[in-house]
Amino acid sequence: MAKKIFKFISSMRFAICLLILLAICCALGSFVTQNQSFAWYAERYSERTAAWITALQLNDLYHSWWFLGISLFLCCNLLLCNIIRLPQLILRTREAGDPSGIGGAQVQAYAEHVDRPEELFQRLHMPKPRRTELDGQAALFSSAHRAGLWGAWVCHIGILLLIAGFTLGQATHQEYAVYGVAGQTRQIGDTQLFLTIDDFQIDLRRDDTVSQYTSQITVRDLSGKNALSRQASISVNHPATLFGYRFYQNSTGWAARVRVEKGDEALQDEVLCAGEYLPIEDLPDLVIFFHAFYPDLIMDPAGGPRTASGQLNNPGYLYSVYYQNQIVGMNVLTGDETITIDDYTVTFSEPQSYTVIQCKRDRFSFLALVGGLAAMLGLFLAFYLQPKRVWAVSEQTGGWSFHGACPKMGALFRDQFEEAVRAISE
Amino acid sequence: MRQAENTLFTIVMLIYFASMILYFVFIAIKKDRLAGAAALLQTVGLVLHSAAILLRGLAAGRLPLTNQYEFATCFAWGLCLVSLIFIRRFRFPMLGAFAAPVIFLIIGYAAMQSKEIHELMPALRSNWLGVHVSTAIIAYGAFGVSFVLSIIFLIRDRLRDSSFWDRHVPTHEKLDLISYRSVCLGLLFLTFTILTGAIWAERAWGSYWSWDPKETWSLVTWIVYAVYLHLRIRRGWRGKAAAVFAAVGFVCVIFTYIGVNTFLPGIHSYA
Repeated sequence: MAKKIFKFISSMRFAICLLILLAICCALGSFVTQNQSFAWYAERYSERTAAWITALQLNDLYHSWWFLGISLFLCCNLLLCNIIRLPQLILRTREAGDPSGIGGAQVQAYAEHVDRPEELFQRLHMPKPRRTELDGQAALFSSAHRAGLWGAWVCHIGILLLIAGFTLGQATHQEYAVYGVAGQTRQIGDTQLFLTIDDFQIDLRRDDTVSQYTSQITVRDLSGKNALSRQASISVNHPATLFGYRFYQNSTGWAARVRVEKGDEALQDEVLCAGEYLPIEDLPDLVIFFHAFYPDLIMDPAGGPRTASGQLNNPGYLYSVYYQNQIVGMNVLTGDETITIDDYTVTFSEPQSYTVIQCKRDRFSFLALVGGLAAMLGLFLAFYLQPKRVWAVSEQTGGWSFHGACPKMGALFRDQFEEAVRAISE
Repeated sequence: MRQAENTLFTIVMLIYFASMILYFVFIAIKKDRLAGAAALLQTVGLVLHSAAILLRGLAAGRLPLTNQYEFATCFAWGLCLVSLIFIRRFRFPMLGAFAAPVIFLIIGYAAMQSKEIHELMPALRSNWLGVHVSTAIIAYGAFGVSFVLSIIFLIRDRLRDSSFWDRHVPTHEKLDLISYRSVCLGLLFLTFTILTGAIWAERAWGSYWSWDPKETWSLVTWIVYAVYLHLRIRRGWRGKAAAVFAAVGFVCVIFTYIGVNTFLPGIHSYA
């Protein structure tokens, strides 16, 4: 029974089933929006569909136990298949260089008058043939592209490494997002690394579209006895590696200076990014939420705010006020307008861009890269190095018999072979 | 320069159309010379098409590989190039007769897209763009050829009594092998496309694989063709079943290119 299971798991039939299943799952995952809440699915589809989606883990399909299960079975299948095939491959590689395997020739031809049998090998783009003897007859033999026999094997190993690298990377990677304006320093997650944004620039083209985002950063490592510090410039497509972490220019947004005053007394003065909350320290139940910023504010026909350009022509700050978690006001501030709550005044000013920097460490990405390159190499070997063997045997009749084998090219090789034999015997 | 590119594009469309008609006439009146003339016309179309793409690139000041129009016109170019190579390599002019309508359909789709030249967003301003998309064009072109070959394979049985078809269409065994060669070319280039895309995504977005619909469907397409290759190895599946799978693979290619952009927006939505 165990032998049967082993045979089935390592079979090509099982591999084909798994591949088809995997393709169906991947396609399914692309149609179901991933990582949303039950309420989101219920609103979009129906309560019942949402229940099915969450029960079957279709909401996080690529991390579901059954998707991982299929991937695991595929890995087992690839591994077993490669282990089983290894001795056969070594044997076949040896045989491919052995002229005595003439019995395996797929195509034969005989020519009575041939001056230079070596020409056949040239015409078939074979390496220079070596002289040998077959059944007491003088013969020429050449074998080409033996490495092609290993193509599928190398490709499978590559895929295994790729899956292993990706899975291990997913399980162990560390990823943080740090955002802020120039001059701010933030701790990177729970690490002992501190990131200072020295400068942040947005390069605009004449038509106001963004050409590039660039952050100048300094990262300090406080984990050792002596603090180490390194600087880098990062922009989209140009990440930097510092202290084993990769730093990426991720995105940007607007921030503003928010001041809370009571009479003439300044109580709070902070830089707030759009999407952030500011609790009023004097009034614990009161919170200001900075929704969005419009550098060139205009009102659309429906009365909603939007920006006419990226230039700071008419700054507008969309905010809302929460009292005991209930929204009590919402508006857009322009010019010198302020928010007044009892004796308190809240002002928004000095709009500036903030940068979002992604910080990541994936120790296994190199494994995935090596796997990908190995898979490429394997496919190249399998597809473009077609193993072939050619024999030319001097017959007692005075003529030559020619034999060839190139299993992957089948009829196409037969045509080439016959044409070449015709050409040299004419 | 844009005007010249537009004019050239229209001329190329007309040439591809004329070549398609010439192939149809070749089938209708069974004059072998017409196939050669149609292939020659297609070659002229390809040369002018290359010039049109070059002009587009010069006008945009970048590689013209970033939106639906640019990719569609390059897709048609890739299919034309690969089909001409296969026609020459395997001495198979009838392939052109079946490829021509597909080329015309794709370039027709390109003609329906906006030809506006937009500046590139920062993520697209990378040297990887050229490598990633140009390999995709060759891959798609090769899969297009395998699709055409599969169609010929599947309808060949109905045409077997005709000596004309016997003379111009290879045997099932050879058709299967030629289709296999085109799938090999396509799969190798698709793997390279996915790999370069992953390297580029890591640099641009900080993640080399994020299950974006375009990525996912490229993987689905890769798996479908991998199944095709495995099916061919299994006894009894070579031939008709493999041809059906190669055709299904091309449906996945088209879905990856057009369907994903239409129905499944993601981080590749600009493409």
